Amino acid sequence: MISEEYRGAKQWSRDKQAVFTVIWISFLVAAAGTMLFFAVFDPVDLTGIFDADLDVSRDAGYAAGFFFFWILCAVCSGLTAFLVRTAPKRDAKHREQ
Amino acid sequence: MNKPQGASMYESAKKIYPREIGGRFDRLSKIATVTLLGLFYIVPWLQWDERQAVLFDLPARKFYLVGLTLWPQDFPYLALLLIIAALSLFFFTALAGRLFCGFACPQTVWTEAFIWMEQFTEGTRSQRMKLDKAPWSLTKFRKKASKQFLWITFSMWTGFTFVGYFTEIRQLGLDILAFSVGGWTLFWGLFYGFATYGNAGYMREQVCKYMCPYARFQSAMFDKDTLIISYDEERGEPRGGRKRSVDPKEAGLGDCIDCQLCVQVCPTGIDIREGLQYECIACAACIDACDSIMDRMNYPRGLVRYTTEHSLRHKSTHVIRPRTLVYATLLTALIVGLLTAMATRTPVILDVIRDRNSLYRELPNDVIENIYTLKVINQSNDPRNFVLSVTGLEGISLDGAGEQISVDGGGVLSLPVRVRAERDKALGIHSIDFVVTAIDDPGVSVTEDSRFLGPTP
Repeated sequence: MISEEYRGAKQWSRDKQAVFTVIWISFLVAAAGTMLFFAVFDPVDLTGIFDADLDVSRDAGYAAGFFFFWILCAVCSGLTAFLVRTAPKRDAKHREQ
Repeated sequence: MNKPQGASMYESAKKIYPREIGGRFDRLSKIATVTLLGLFYIVPWLQWDERQAVLFDLPARKFYLVGLTLWPQDFPYLALLLIIAALSLFFFTALAGRLFCGFACPQTVWTEAFIWMEQFTEGTRSQRMKLDKAPWSLTKFRKKASKQFLWITFSMWTGFTFVGYFTEIRQLGLDILAFSVGGWTLFWGLFYGFATYGNAGYMREQVCKYMCPYARFQSAMFDKDTLIISYDEERGEPRGGRKRSVDPKEAGLGDCIDCQLCVQVCPTGIDIREGLQYECIACAACIDACDSIMDRMNYPRGLVRYTTEHSLRHKSTHVIRPRTLVYATLLTALIVGLLTAMATRTPVILDVIRDRNSLYRELPNDVIENIYTLKVINQSNDPRNFVLSVTGLEGISLDGAGEQISVDGGGVLSLPVRVRAERDKALGIHSIDFVVTAIDDPGVSVTEDSRFLGPTP
């Protein structure tokens, strides 16, 4: 696929590709999720649930929400990527038989 | 891990050095880059009615889009707008392939701008390759440092502009000059700036190849009538070098002189002559490259060109086909729906919250009272007077009914109200309606239902 000039050079290892894909895709999903979530809930109203004395600004609430979603999504897709990884070799053998 | 034989686990740092090429599509992409980036950097500075024309005011939970003010309650419009955007992407992909990738994607556009800065400081492709191989010297340091200076300044400005869409950019500028920017504002500015620097300066085509979800699923929208950039194998092969005086037919050669120019200009480092590949972002640099060679050889242009699979196989191409019809119908329906919804939107919102502390109160004279908090949101930009009423139960009354309530333009009025009814009519649970109507225009009216509780019968 890659032209002769660059062959064997610029290919990412599967691990590296998986890590970056997981980070990037969970970033996108977290951005969408944060938007949906905070369209319905106001961070200022939410802080009262956890601790009545907690005084958090909206900015901090949005940021906390975003990072929460990002980490949650990254853990989820990271584990998925890690667990589905082992299959291909056995599949290939089965197909040969 | 199954890794390719002989390849190291770590990527060897062989960079792609896209070669600069002039031509029609290069001109088009320059126009697209300047227009899109220009819009991005200028729009936050535009004013409308003494406020920022486009401002997603997150701290105040209001979105300003020119003359329109959107509230969290208007979220369905925003969701619909995003669905329309996604569907248009599908539609244009089915029609014209990856036009978006090559000309309008932020990744492409910012990469293009970063490459201009690179060319400005480090020179042409061969000069850049030579510079990277050369040992460190004062000249090399000067060139690299000035490139970094341009890149970083541009990235910081980008981060600043990005944050300027969410907090007032003029105030933000003053805050920065006074070194009094809020922590989160600073964080997001640096975050976006750094992301731009990394993605457009270093990651470049690898974002498209390894990280972009669209690159993976766009093939689902492709068919044999989709516009793609392709090498005309039939015409080009067998490829080979030749003198300009040689007639390729006599020499048994195709039109491809195997000059490798199409490979050198490719920002993703592929060889278009190997067919349609997912790495191709359809930037059309190879078309410009090949056309310039065809002109020099006095061959007709278009050995590499925009075409469709059907036309390469000498079949006719259908622009109107089930796929495009379905996308177009859906798109039209959604756009009409959105416009209708926006046009018929009543610019007032009413929220009714029942008092949580008591179900009801028994007053003397056999009267039952319920307490509510009403939130009246005036979405128009001018102050407005409203009148409040309640219906749904015989003899129900509201204190302050008929009185004028005044709400500022874009303001929220929180109004505790007491609703009363006679005991014998109020037994059990009743559904009631609160109505808010604008005095100057009875058409601007909104109804919200709630419950009225009385003693168990």
